[in-house]
Amino acid sequence: MSHQPPVSCIPNTGKMSKAKKVIEEAKEINNPEIDLVDKGISSLEEIPGLFSLENITRLSLSHNKISVVPAALANLSNLEILNLANNNIQELPVSLSSLPKLRILNVSLNKLYNLPRGFGSFPVLEILDLTYNNLNEKVLPGNFFIMDSLRALYLGDNDFEFLPPEIGNLKNLQILSMRENDLIEVPRELGQLARLRELHLQGNRLVVLPPEIGTLDLASNKSVLRLEGNFWVPPIEDQLKLGPSHVLDYLRSETYKVLYSRHMSAKPPPPPQTVDKSKKASRAA
Amino acid sequence: MPGLATMSLDNMYCTRCGDGFEPNEKIVNSNGELWHTNCFVCAQCFRMFPDGVFYEFEGRKYCEQDFQVLFAPCCAKCGEFVIGRVIKAMNSNWHPACFRCEECNVELADAGFIKHAGRALCHVCNARIKADGLQNYMCHKCHGVIDGEPLRYRGEVYHGYHFTCATCGVELDHTAREVKNRPGYAANDVNNLFCLRCHDKMGIPICGACRRPIEERIVTALGKHWHVEHFVCAKCEKPFHGHRHYEKKGLAYCEQHYHQLFGNLCYVCNQVIAGDVFTALNKAWCVHHFACSVCDAPLSTRSKFYEYDERPACRRCYEKFPAELRRRLRRAHHYTVRR
Ligand SMILES: [Zn+2]
Ligand SMILES: [Zn+2]
Ligand SMILES: [Zn+2]
Ligand SMILES: [Zn+2]
Ligand SMILES: [Zn+2]
Ligand SMILES: [Zn+2]
Ligand SMILES: [Zn+2]
Ligand SMILES: [Zn+2]
Repeated sequence: MSHQPPVSCIPNTGKMSKAKKVIEEAKEINNPEIDLVDKGISSLEEIPGLFSLENITRLSLSHNKISVVPAALANLSNLEILNLANNNIQELPVSLSSLPKLRILNVSLNKLYNLPRGFGSFPVLEILDLTYNNLNEKVLPGNFFIMDSLRALYLGDNDFEFLPPEIGNLKNLQILSMRENDLIEVPRELGQLARLRELHLQGNRLVVLPPEIGTLDLASNKSVLRLEGNFWVPPIEDQLKLGPSHVLDYLRSETYKVLYSRHMSAKPPPPPQTVDKSKKASRAA
Repeated sequence: MPGLATMSLDNMYCTRCGDGFEPNEKIVNSNGELWHTNCFVCAQCFRMFPDGVFYEFEGRKYCEQDFQVLFAPCCAKCGEFVIGRVIKAMNSNWHPACFRCEECNVELADAGFIKHAGRALCHVCNARIKADGLQNYMCHKCHGVIDGEPLRYRGEVYHGYHFTCATCGVELDHTAREVKNRPGYAANDVNNLFCLRCHDKMGIPICGACRRPIEERIVTALGKHWHVEHFVCAKCEKPFHGHRHYEKKGLAYCEQHYHQLFGNLCYVCNQVIAGDVFTALNKAWCVHHFACSVCDAPLSTRSKFYEYDERPACRRCYEKFPAELRRRLRRAHHYTVRR
């Protein structure tokens, strides 16, 4: 990371001065929402005065070249929305988790291979978007699932094979996306998420679902249940052809409970990994 | 397989993959269907059949292990697979020898059974238990067995005919109402029993939830009366206790559940949307919060946006997505449109 020669930002000076202008304007008119999208920024320290904008509530930094998020970003104690989508971030500072008002954090489309210890201590986080990184269940910090203020958790396009049963602690979760991971199994505890109305499981390696999923309110016209692109047992696959609500009906049946418990005790080998992830942009150094 | 040798390899194809066969390649012939040896596998575990034994179900072939796991019923008593005769009873499957009377242990498969209080009983045991009257109430006054519903009074159960209505004197039954206190009466005057007709005339309101009289604080809503603790959100069943309730189709909801069920909390600010609402992708937004989920740029009703995990992404962001992600999203989109 630090081997980049300092001259690398020279071609971007045109854009950098634009960033400076945005900050100065924001100071003048006291604008609480800062847009620094696609400004060629490679380091936040290069933006003079950014960390002193204590009154801002939103900071949007999508589509830049930021690789290091400085701990001082947590000085912006009024931030409610922080958007770092599509940068080169490999690590986050734990200080972010102490932002007292942060409700929405978007670190999608980056190069995260882990999360800092203590990451889960956000006091009021509602939407966490970690889509398209290199995360899996082994790198989640121990307190990840204490974030019971979460309404939406986006973990699509990562490398999860298992979803920890502690997911059941996220009582307020309404949206969970695990799209195109490597999931082999989802836990029964998913059935405890009574408020869940959007569940994306498409493009994984799932064979069965816990019967408890059938009790969730995922069949209403306001709900979303995505299951395609898995290795379902034939009866689930057949119901899926009729529609996701038929799958839910089937999961509630006595026949299925027997099938599920037998499948879980037989433990057949998991289906093969089908997606070639080596071409993901998150992988490149 | 002598028959195969006379056929030309040119018009022989594998039932599973549709490809042809190499000269001298080993071919599996099962009931006239041909397979590559690699393709003649269990539909569930994709492994070859141990000892060539397979089970067919709805056109698919399974190894014994998976066939049992997927389709053979399991006995509710002993937990073993039931092969052969299956007794379907009490919402479960049983071996004939495992389905027995829960009192005397006699086999029920051919003799028939009676469901009594959640247990399967033979006719003899059922008749005996019914005669014992164990499940019936005993009258607190005469100690006789009460057939049917008892009359409840001061925490005890009675035959109705031991009491008469405090107003009209008619003999009572289990529908009688006990009144514990009543505005304007001393405690001694009450704690009386009344027939339904006289009780209704007393004008004591009945709770719309529990159908019992309301003698303390009363809530009037949805055209009915309620005990304070019985007027609850139809979704979470928490009492409103004076907090605002929202009505929809004759039911009452707390603010949170009303908006969760019928509408309109903004996806970004999670507040009730005052004024115009943008709805898309099963979500709602305040006008000034409807924005691209990747770059936060405001969107309008006229903006073209792409669906990305059921959220909007603006065209600029979509074009900045990695090419391989765009390819996958395109494919997924085709899939959902086709359905
Ligand atoms: Zn098999
Ligand atoms: Zn048995
Ligand atoms: Zn009596
Ligand atoms: Zn009367
Ligand atoms: Zn009541
Ligand atoms: Zn409620
Ligand atoms: Zn809003
Ligand atoms: Zn955008």
